[in-house]
Amino acid sequence: MNRQLFRASSQKGITFGIVLIFLVLINFHIMAATMISKLMGTNVLRGAIPEVRFLTYFLVFFGIWIGWSAASKSEKAGTRVLQGLVAGLSMGVVVALFDLILVYLLQTQTDMRRYLTNLGFDNINFFLQGFGANGILVHLGMFVLSGVVGSVLEIFFQSEGVANSKQAVRNFLAESKDQILDRLPDLVKKTGKYLFYLILLVLLFMLPSRWGSYYNFVFGLVGLYVIAGIGLNIMLGLSGQFMIGLAAFFAMGAYSVALLNAPQPHGLMWGFWPALLIGILAAVIVAILMGLPTARLRGDYLGIVTLGFGEIVRLLLQSDVLSKFTGGPRGIQNIQGPTLMGKPFNDVTYMYLILICMAVSIFLYYRLEKSRTGRAWLAIKEDLIVAQATGVNIQKYRLLALCIGAAFAGLAGGIFAARNLFTGPNDHTFMVSINILSLIIVGGMNSIPGILLGAFTLKGLPEILREIENYRLLVFGALLVVMMLVRPEGLWPASRPNLEHEVKEKIMKDKALSEEESDA
Amino acid sequence: MQAKKESPPRIKRRNYFNIIRTIFGILVAAYVVWRLYTVLVVEQQYTPDIWIRLLIAGLIIGGVYSLVAIGYTLVYGILFMINFAHGEVMMIGMFAGYFFLEATKSIQTASGLNFSNAHPVITVLLAFVIGMTVASTTGFFLEKIAYRPLRKAPRLIPLISAIGASIFLQNAAQLLFSPQVRDYANPSVINRGIGWPVTIAGANITISYTGALTFGMSILLMIGLYWLVQKTKLGKAMRAVALDKKTAALMGIDVDAIISRTFIISGALAGAAGVMWGFHNGITYFYVGFLPGIKAFTAAVLGGIGNIPGAMLGGMFLGLIESIAPTALGISYQLKDVIAFVILIVILIFRPSGILGEVLSEEKV
Repeated sequence: MNRQLFRASSQKGITFGIVLIFLVLINFHIMAATMISKLMGTNVLRGAIPEVRFLTYFLVFFGIWIGWSAASKSEKAGTRVLQGLVAGLSMGVVVALFDLILVYLLQTQTDMRRYLTNLGFDNINFFLQGFGANGILVHLGMFVLSGVVGSVLEIFFQSEGVANSKQAVRNFLAESKDQILDRLPDLVKKTGKYLFYLILLVLLFMLPSRWGSYYNFVFGLVGLYVIAGIGLNIMLGLSGQFMIGLAAFFAMGAYSVALLNAPQPHGLMWGFWPALLIGILAAVIVAILMGLPTARLRGDYLGIVTLGFGEIVRLLLQSDVLSKFTGGPRGIQNIQGPTLMGKPFNDVTYMYLILICMAVSIFLYYRLEKSRTGRAWLAIKEDLIVAQATGVNIQKYRLLALCIGAAFAGLAGGIFAARNLFTGPNDHTFMVSINILSLIIVGGMNSIPGILLGAFTLKGLPEILREIENYRLLVFGALLVVMMLVRPEGLWPASRPNLEHEVKEKIMKDKALSEEESDA
Repeated sequence: MQAKKESPPRIKRRNYFNIIRTIFGILVAAYVVWRLYTVLVVEQQYTPDIWIRLLIAGLIIGGVYSLVAIGYTLVYGILFMINFAHGEVMMIGMFAGYFFLEATKSIQTASGLNFSNAHPVITVLLAFVIGMTVASTTGFFLEKIAYRPLRKAPRLIPLISAIGASIFLQNAAQLLFSPQVRDYANPSVINRGIGWPVTIAGANITISYTGALTFGMSILLMIGLYWLVQKTKLGKAMRAVALDKKTAALMGIDVDAIISRTFIISGALAGAAGVMWGFHNGITYFYVGFLPGIKAFTAAVLGGIGNIPGAMLGGMFLGLIESIAPTALGISYQLKDVIAFVILIVILIFRPSGILGEVLSEEKV
C-alpha cells in the first residue's frame, strides 16, 4: 500500500475535522440543520434548535463528502475504500477528541459561553445528538461508516477512461448538452439567444408588479449593486485600476440626493431628478479630485490610497465637524423621492426605475467597451508602457475611466438613498466597497452576466435565505479567498479572449512544432 | 577633435501631473502652516505639560504601530504584497492574550489571591508568549492556505485573497467570541490609569505602568528583531530572499520555508502588539485590528516599505503625529484617523519610497 496516499487522506480527514469543529463553534451546524429541516417540510422557529435527525443528515453528508473526496485520487478500488476509511477515521478521531472536551464541560457544568458564545449546554447536547457521553462513539462510528460509503460511491463512478466522479459528471453534462442541442429545431438554435433575452425582458417587466414588495426590495438592491458593479468594472476590469474606495462615490450620490430633498438639515426641495444629476456630477468631481494626485500610482498602492479616500469621506460624514451640513452620525431622514404623475414612487416604480437604469448602464458599458476609448483602456490594462509608446494618453484615459465609473456609482447611490428614504454614514462603509469588489470578482470581471450573477449570489441570495444572514460576511471572505485559489476568472468569465495568453500559447505551439521538425 | 554635438531638440511636454502635485503640496503646506500659526502663536491656550502628555501618548501608540508595521514591511519586502489581514492577526493575538488573562483570574492560589494578581510578572510574560504564539500560528496558516498557492499569480490576486482572509478572520472572531466589547483583564498591579507621578514644568504627569510596559516591550522586541535579521543565519536568509528569490534558491536557501518563517515572525510581532494594545487601551472586540492595521501600513509606507528601520521610525512618527496633530492643528479629535489617511496619501504622492526607503522603480509603485 502506498503510504503517501494514506498520509494525504488522513491529513484531509484531520482538516475536515477541524473545519467541522470550527463550524460547530460558530453555530453553523444548527443553521444547516434548520435549512435541511425546512427543505424537508418541517418548519423551525427562528432561534429554535431543530430536530436531532437533521443534524445527523448534515454530519453524514459531511462524512460522505470526506470519503468521496479522499478516494477520488487513487486507481484501485480497494485502495479507494481504504482511503475513505482512513479519512473517515481520522476525521472521527478529531471530532471525538472535541466531543471529549464537550462531555467534560457538560459533566463539570462549566459554562464556556463567556469565551465562546455558542458553547451553551443546549448546543453541546444537540451536537452530541442527545447521546451524552456515548455521542463520542456514535460520532466516531458514523464518520468511519460514512467515509467508507463515500468512497464506495466514488467507485461506482469508476469506469473505463473515467478517473473519478468529477470527470464523470463533467462528461455527463457535456454529453447531455450536446444531445439537447441536437434535438432543438434550427429556428430556436439560430434565434435562441434573442429568444432568451426576449423572455427575460418580458419577465422583468411583468414581475415587479406581481411578486410583492419584499422581492422588489431585494432585487432592487441587487440592481443597484449591479449598476455600481458596472462602475467599478469600468475602473478595474476595463482600465485596470485597482479601486477599493467606491463607497466614496456611492456616498456622493446618496448625500446629494438626500441633502437636496430632505427637510433636515437644509430644507431644500429641489426635486429628485436634478438632485440625481448633481449627485452624479459630485461623484465625478470627487473622482477627479481622487484621480489627479494619484495618477502615478499603480496596483495595490492605488488600492490602499483609494481605500484611504473612501474612509476619509466616511469619517468626515460621520464627524461633528460637518454635522451642520451633512447631518452628522445620525444621517438624513425623510428624503423625498421622485414622483410619477403626482404620486410618489412606490416599490414597483422604483423597481422599474432601477431596471431602466440598469439597462442603460449595460448598454453604455457595451458601447464603451467596443469603442476607441475601450480599446485604449484595454491597452493600458495589458501593458502600460506599450500603451504609452503607442500613443495612448495614459493619464487622460485613466482619469476618464475613474470619472465614468464614479458616475455609475453616484447614480446607484442616489437611487439607493431615495429608495431607503434615509442615508447615513453607516450606509457607506468600507464593507460597501468590498461588497461591490467581491461581486465583480466572484461573478467574473468584464462580463455583464458575471456581474449580474455575482450581484445576485452576494446580495440577493443572503436576503432570500434569511438563515444564512449571520454568516454572510464570513462566507464573503472565504469566497474571495477560494475564488482566487480555484477560479480567479470568476463564475461566469468574460467571453472576450485573453489575447496575451493566446499569443503565448501560439508561440509555444510554434516552438514545439519547429523543434519536432528539427528532430525529424 | 570632436565637433560639439548639437543637443537634440527637446520635446516640450507639459506634465500636468507635476503641476497638480505642486499645487496640491502648496495647499497642504499652507493649510498646515496656517493652522499651526493660529494654534501656537495666536491662541496659545496649551501649557507645555499638555504637549508632553501628548508626546508620551504618541510614543506609546507609536511603539505598537511600529511592531505591526514591521510585519507589513517584512512581508512586502519578500513577496511584494500587502498582507491585508495583518491587522486581523493582531486582533487574534489580542484575543488569545485576553482569554489567557481571564483564565488566570479564575485560578485561585494558596495565598487567597487569584493567579493573575499573585504572580503578575509571570502572568504578563505568559500573556505575551501566548498572544505571540497564537498570532504567529495564524500567520503561518494564513500564508499556507491563502497566499502560497498564489505565489506566481498577478499581483492583484493575492491582494484580493488577503482582503478576503481579513474579512473571514474578522467575522470568524465575531461569530466565535460574539460581537460584544470586552474589558481587557489586566493584573490589578498594572491596572490602567495608575503609574509613576512625574513633575514636569510644574505640572503633575502620570506615566502609566501599561504605557511603560508597552513602550519598553516594543523597544525590546524591535531590538530583538533587528538582531535576528542582521546577525542570525535566518535573518541572512531572509535578506537574501528579499533581494532575489531565484538566486537565493540557487544558494541552497529553501525559499518557501523562509517565507513561512517570515510570516511567523511578523505574526509574533503583531500578536505582541495586540496584547500591548489590549493592556494599554483596555478593550478588545472583533473589529479592533482593522484600523491599527491600515494605520500601521501607513507607517510602513511612511518609513519606506520593505525597510525595517524605516518601519520602526515610521510607526513612531505616525503615533506622534496622530497624537499631537489634532491638538496642534486645532482639529476635532474625531478626525485623527483622517490625519493618518491624509498622511498616507501625501506620502504616496510626494515620496512613494518613504523617509528611509530605497527609491523604488515605477514598476513597483
